Amino acid sequence: MKKLWNERSRSWLTLAARLVLGGVLIAAGYLKAKNPTVSTASVRVYKLLPVGLANIFGYALPWIEIGLALLLIVGIWVRQTSLLSGALMVLFIFAVGQAWARKLAINCGCFGNGGVTVDGKVHPGIYLTEIVRDIGLTVVAGYLYRFPHGKFGLDKASNENEE
Amino acid sequence: MADKKNNKKNVPQKKTDKTTRYLVIGMIVFIVIAGLGAALAKNHSNSHVAMPSTVSKANGYGITFNPTAKVKVDMYEDFRCPNCRNFEAVNSTYINGLVRAGKIEAVYHPMHFIASDSQLTAAAVACAADQGKFIEMHTALYVNQPSSTQMAENSPYWTNAQLILLGHSVGIASTAFDTCINSGKYMNWTNNINADAAAKNINATPTVIVNGKTLSLATTYDAKAFTKVLTDLGVK
Repeated sequence: MKKLWNERSRSWLTLAARLVLGGVLIAAGYLKAKNPTVSTASVRVYKLLPVGLANIFGYALPWIEIGLALLLIVGIWVRQTSLLSGALMVLFIFAVGQAWARKLAINCGCFGNGGVTVDGKVHPGIYLTEIVRDIGLTVVAGYLYRFPHGKFGLDKASNENEE
Repeated sequence: MADKKNNKKNVPQKKTDKTTRYLVIGMIVFIVIAGLGAALAKNHSNSHVAMPSTVSKANGYGITFNPTAKVKVDMYEDFRCPNCRNFEAVNSTYINGLVRAGKIEAVYHPMHFIASDSQLTAAAVACAADQGKFIEMHTALYVNQPSSTQMAENSPYWTNAQLILLGHSVGIASTAFDTCINSGKYMNWTNNINADAAAKNINATPTVIVNGKTLSLATTYDAKAFTKVLTDLGVK
């Protein structure tokens, strides 16, 4: 009986995790897709990629995020998409961390307001908030990787080897 | 128990569920590819779009004055950007004087990324350039920029009708100007400006570049320091 309850709550928790991760990704993707100029600038300011590649990544990233978000929300390929989303979060943490270490005055563009900070100064709070949030989302992605089968997911119907 | 129940329910629906699944996958793939394709197409410079005659392709499609002058000043701006208004307030009298006297090559890059009406203002200033009123329109757009207490920086403010009135207020009388704005004649050109700025690693506005060297923010907002940069290069 207890096990049954656990399974049930777990499947609701999986749904919640999909909606949280998917919701954050779709919001971030939508804001960037709406404004590719800001999106590309916010990739360039991290100074990780040559300008040309950074621009291509800046145009592609919002659509990758939107694609992953939609798959998570409807619950298709949850294990794979959560793995990719987690990898994306780890990439963001690395990018923000190295920007902080190199004292790049950036206004972490992850939510659409890319580019350098208005006063051109380094604000530790910005990096820290960003890193903490992305660690949280990485945990959510990790949970989904471990327990991908939840409520209202389209994976279920075609999945024979369900736990 | 729960599993058994589920399986029973799912067996007859299996085919439909699979079709639904593939349909949803197809839709998501389509959204991603179409969105990415549109973004790449829109943010690519296109030399065949309508442009004002003062635009120089070699100068990143910027509106160019005095192309033979020795000192070149590139200005990347957004008419809805408050810091650009600060730069304008501090240095425009000096810059406009130099431009009118033919002493510097001035290249204006009106970008659009702050508010959804930024693109309208960029296209409108190009229409004003056709009427020989670029500088006047440029100044008027900053003087009339809504303050941050009036509205958020990124909410739309200008409409085409207001931009036409603004043009008239600085002395443009031609109906060609009205048509230029209403038809969105230079809207595509503004995408060239953004694409070129992206390729040149311009990450903030205002970005002011003198003879290829990007000025620090401190110099940009300081009239004395800014004047010194130009006079050191022989501008008198």
